[in-house]
Amino acid sequence: MISRLVLMAAVVVQAVSCTSRDSRSVPAGREVEATPTVYVVNYPLKYFAERVGGQRVLVEFPAPPDIDPAFWMPDAAALAGFQGADLIIANGADYAKWLDKVTLPESRLIFTTDAFEDQLIQLDGAMTHTHGPTGEHSHAGTAFTTWLDATLAARQAEAIREAFTAEWPKYVEEFQRGFDQLESDLLALDSAIGRIATNHSGMPLLASHPVYQYLARRYGLNLRSVQWEPDEEPTPAMWRDLRGVLRDHAAEWMLWEDTPLVETTRQLRELGVESVVFDQCGNTPLQGDYLSVMHDNVVRLGAVFGRGD
Amino acid sequence: MRDALYLAWRYLVYHRFKTAILITSITLIVFLPVGLRVLVSQSADQLTTRAEATPLIIGARGSPLELVLNSLYFESDVPALMKYAEVTRVHTTELALAIPLYVRFRARGYPIVGTTLEYFEFREIRIAEGSKLTTLGDCVLGARVAVELGIGPGESVISSPENVFDFAGVYPLKMRVVGVLEFSDSPDDHAIFVDLKTAWVIEGAGHGHQDLDQREAAAAVLSRDSANIVANAALVQYNEITPDNIESFHFHGDLGDFNITAIVAIPPDQRSEALLRGRYESADDVSQIVPPVTVMDELLETILTVQSYVIVAVVVVGLSTLATAALVFILSLRLRRREIETMLRIGGSRASIGWIVVSEIVVVLSTSVVLAMGLTFITSRFGSAAIRALIL
Repeated sequence: MISRLVLMAAVVVQAVSCTSRDSRSVPAGREVEATPTVYVVNYPLKYFAERVGGQRVLVEFPAPPDIDPAFWMPDAAALAGFQGADLIIANGADYAKWLDKVTLPESRLIFTTDAFEDQLIQLDGAMTHTHGPTGEHSHAGTAFTTWLDATLAARQAEAIREAFTAEWPKYVEEFQRGFDQLESDLLALDSAIGRIATNHSGMPLLASHPVYQYLARRYGLNLRSVQWEPDEEPTPAMWRDLRGVLRDHAAEWMLWEDTPLVETTRQLRELGVESVVFDQCGNTPLQGDYLSVMHDNVVRLGAVFGRGD
Repeated sequence: MRDALYLAWRYLVYHRFKTAILITSITLIVFLPVGLRVLVSQSADQLTTRAEATPLIIGARGSPLELVLNSLYFESDVPALMKYAEVTRVHTTELALAIPLYVRFRARGYPIVGTTLEYFEFREIRIAEGSKLTTLGDCVLGARVAVELGIGPGESVISSPENVFDFAGVYPLKMRVVGVLEFSDSPDDHAIFVDLKTAWVIEGAGHGHQDLDQREAAAAVLSRDSANIVANAALVQYNEITPDNIESFHFHGDLGDFNITAIVAIPPDQRSEALLRGRYESADDVSQIVPPVTVMDELLETILTVQSYVIVAVVVVGLSTLATAALVFILSLRLRRREIETMLRIGGSRASIGWIVVSEIVVVLSTSVVLAMGLTFITSRFGSAAIRALIL
């Protein structure tokens, strides 16, 4: 009884100390802008959002053009843009880890891979470690270049359409029309890659970087990855490791995110490995757009499988 | 009449000590029930206003009062914890905006409120100085906290350990002050706000440490095999989040399993509110949903019951005081018998003498009532500030 009275007294004192100006109301709505602003965390999402949203939304992707957005950390100005956006479109699949380190309006943050979480690829070989009160834990990750599987890309675009429709329902028909056209293009891309990859599932391929997991799974590629950068000369240890890989994985082609150094290309050729660029297109391309970059990839991939025949 | 008043006045001035005691006791006896009523009425307004401004609160099953007091006033014990996945559950229903709250830790005696940016929009509180929360480790101070601690943007505040004897527990986190909120004369003035993820870092669910693959961390590695590295307590864990080490901060496990204390649910309309409340009707549900206004009304009913007992007691004491005052006047008349006889002998009528005595009583009573009104006004105007200064 005494503790209850003390509690009540505390409440009275607390209440007396505050002359509240609150009133029962839902928070004041965000200012309605002429064109709503949508911020995205990578270029494919920008492309999808622009195709779905058309003229109804302004899509912003503030990452500098010369970095990989997956490992970018936005500066204060970019973060202010994200915080003020009407909608924030994120990839999901652990892409852009900076999202865990900043404060964003959670209710306006959309993860486009949420609907197919069960199809995400968990990365193997992650080391666990133990320290402190939290016990054993792992820094394992998830493969995040989901947009390299055109069918998953279409589902990401669908998530964008749903988010746009929920936020701005009066434009539902325009969003649906934009999405239908984009989905048609993505499914055509899927068919194109599927056609050239058919009957080559056993053909060994190398990837200069572990970013093609979804491409390999969707189109049945026999792909093994190393950790090379196109603009850096591989060390002797890296060449030694590659020779080890080639002993039981006799690949004749290596997929690169960007054009490798001439010397690297030459040395690879001496090992019987040709280089081909398959641009993952995470950042804004210098020329063209997501679809044209992917179609260029398809053409180059065709050359790979043509030689494979 | 004026003569009677003048004589009464002179009498009261001459017996100023007795008059002062009479006026003081009558003033207090009039003021106490009225002042108490004003204070309780103000409290009730405060409680219900903030409760009415908060449509629904969701929390783990337990004491609804504790849940509401912790979520609205950041006071009382920490209620039973719930999982962040509940926020997703509310979002999935599309029936309400869900704002998570994690009010468990303190810094220099002030509650640390882990939440999202939506909280500030909901409460309509703005930044007076500095900027809003941006990165992990940032904090924004309530207006009173900034004044009382004498700190502002660019300075820092350190979270307090939950248990000072828990040497192996979570390290205190040095938080960077990035902004100060506008004064809102609400419990928000007395709190330190952080991003929910920063609250999880304080809890130890997220942390940053040396890279175990780097040479600098070698001394802390107890064992290493192809799948696991075991480090000892010598591993440097960061107790401050800076641009240099923010990359190393990470969370282990599914965020959905992380702790929060409550969710403020804001349905857009009454239909959505009813539907959302229906979702939590099941007795098997580990969570409860409560309208704060109902909980606070119940609390107020209890307070008002206590208040009415107090008022009854004050009235009884008041009646006895008035009886004593009457006795004082009667005894005074007996003591003044010779004075009254003298007035009769020099030609004063009985009516005039009666008027003098009545005037004395009226002056004492009206002065007391005026003083009690003044005290009541002061209470209504400065009561909250005085209590805040004396008690809080």
